[in-house]
Amino acid sequence: MAEIDDIIHQPLRLRIMAALNALPPATGLEFSRLKKLTGATDGNLGAHIETLAKAGYVAVDKAFVGKKPQTTVTATAAGRGAFARHVATLQEIIAASGGDK
Amino acid sequence: MIDSQQASEAVADIDAMVRRVQQSRIYDLASRLMVMWGVLVFAGYLVTYFLPRYAGIGWIAVYVIGIAGWGAFSAINRPKSGVRSFDPKFLLAFVMILAFGVFCCVLGQFGSRQLSTFWAIYFMTMYGIAGLWFGYAFSAIGLAVSALTLVGYFWLGSAFDLWMAFVNGGGLIVGGLWMRRS
Repeated sequence: MAEIDDIIHQPLRLRIMAALNALPPATGLEFSRLKKLTGATDGNLGAHIETLAKAGYVAVDKAFVGKKPQTTVTATAAGRGAFARHVATLQEIIAASGGDK
Repeated sequence: MIDSQQASEAVADIDAMVRRVQQSRIYDLASRLMVMWGVLVFAGYLVTYFLPRYAGIGWIAVYVIGIAGWGAFSAINRPKSGVRSFDPKFLLAFVMILAFGVFCCVLGQFGSRQLSTFWAIYFMTMYGIAGLWFGYAFSAIGLAVSALTLVGYFWLGSAFDLWMAFVNGGGLIVGGLWMRRS
């Protein structure tokens, strides 16, 4: 059985990756939108995005829209692959125990 | 290694997040269209109130501009969002809904006041139904606008179309902005 991806498995990072993977490839989410969807605080979300970015799972794009700074987070191809493998591993664990309890 | 209970919780967490993202994308898309239709409907009722002779042509213009805007919005938005919000099936469904509405109006021989009330409640019923699948915000907007339309119909005098500009047009704009924040 494949190993759990510890970078993704942390609850908030799992939610971040799930949200980004629900989008079409190359489509990202604004930081404020991601914050609302995950229910995280600014600091917490920023720290976990940085962890995912260091692992190469997400790309962070900072730009100015008008005078406002806007941060967009997008799942990379590597991140999508890692997330798919992680979900497959979770399903294997559930299946090995005889189904969803 | 984690156990199956933890794995099930993680999968449930992922499913919940995917649903939230999908709903958020639907709301985001719908809210923009709702604001556009709100502005057009607002203009339509103002024409009906201030220039009643031109009300018919005004409403035809509202629908033509609205459908063209809807198509243009979908074409611009699709590469970014990956969501198709307008295609021949959408157009056909919209035309069928309109045709049935026109049929009801002809059959019912509605006056100006009844027409305004009917079309507002007719479209808001669609919002109410959409809410059953796409999120409570649609139903809330549909119910609120319908209720205020009936208040105007029964209790407002000659200012009814002006009331409808704010209730229906304004309601769609405010509802769209609220939906965007939801």
